[in-house]
Amino acid sequence: MKETIRLNNDINEVPQLAEWIEQVCDKFGLAPSVVFQLNLALEEAVVNVMNYAYPGQTGMPVTLSAEMHGNGMVFELEDQGIPFDPTSSEEPDVTLPIEDRPIGGLGIFLVRQIMSEVSYTRHDNTNVLTMTYHIEG
Amino acid sequence: MVLEIKKSDTQVTGILSGRLDTAASQQFSSDMEPLMDNADKHIVLDCSALEFISSSGLRLFLSLRKATIAKGGDVTITGVSADIKQVFTITGFYSLFKFA
Repeated sequence: MKETIRLNNDINEVPQLAEWIEQVCDKFGLAPSVVFQLNLALEEAVVNVMNYAYPGQTGMPVTLSAEMHGNGMVFELEDQGIPFDPTSSEEPDVTLPIEDRPIGGLGIFLVRQIMSEVSYTRHDNTNVLTMTYHIEG
Repeated sequence: MVLEIKKSDTQVTGILSGRLDTAASQQFSSDMEPLMDNADKHIVLDCSALEFISSSGLRLFLSLRKATIAKGGDVTITGVSADIKQVFTITGFYSLFKFA
């Protein structure tokens, strides 16, 4: 069964996202550490869309769905904003000394580190980011 | 997300509790001003009641750490959970702070 949440592109709606993730993970009986990681990766992905997909526009839709396929949780994040492929963004260098560390650039990096697979497609003016998390054991 | 700040002669302690997600980081950014003002001192961030942190929260930790480097203080993080510690590790932030 597919679970879906529709948010506006408003950072203040992030707590609603967290609540939804808790509910979905609870339904699928996921371990607390997995829930923590999914919370982090999904928040980063959603916030990125909220911040950049709709420049200067408010009340625009950001939709996230979750579905279990075999031993993988598959999340689809959709928006109708400007085309953006997060899978093609450059990875930050996390080994730099502190004085050279830029403030930022870690959100998408965390998504790619935590999720097992991340892919991007654009169709019908919609950005679709598909993120799969393989449950171990 | 709540930040409580305690000062002694030798150090300033920030006690964090709750979720430091992107929404909470906006408020936390102004709540932590007193810590930024004490960047010349030993600052302890007590994270034993911190439940969650995202990259926006990490950014604020990094800003504080950079301020202490500029002003001669330092930052020690205490009480982080295994999950949060892993976030510091993945992002390479673990080596940028002292942990106790």
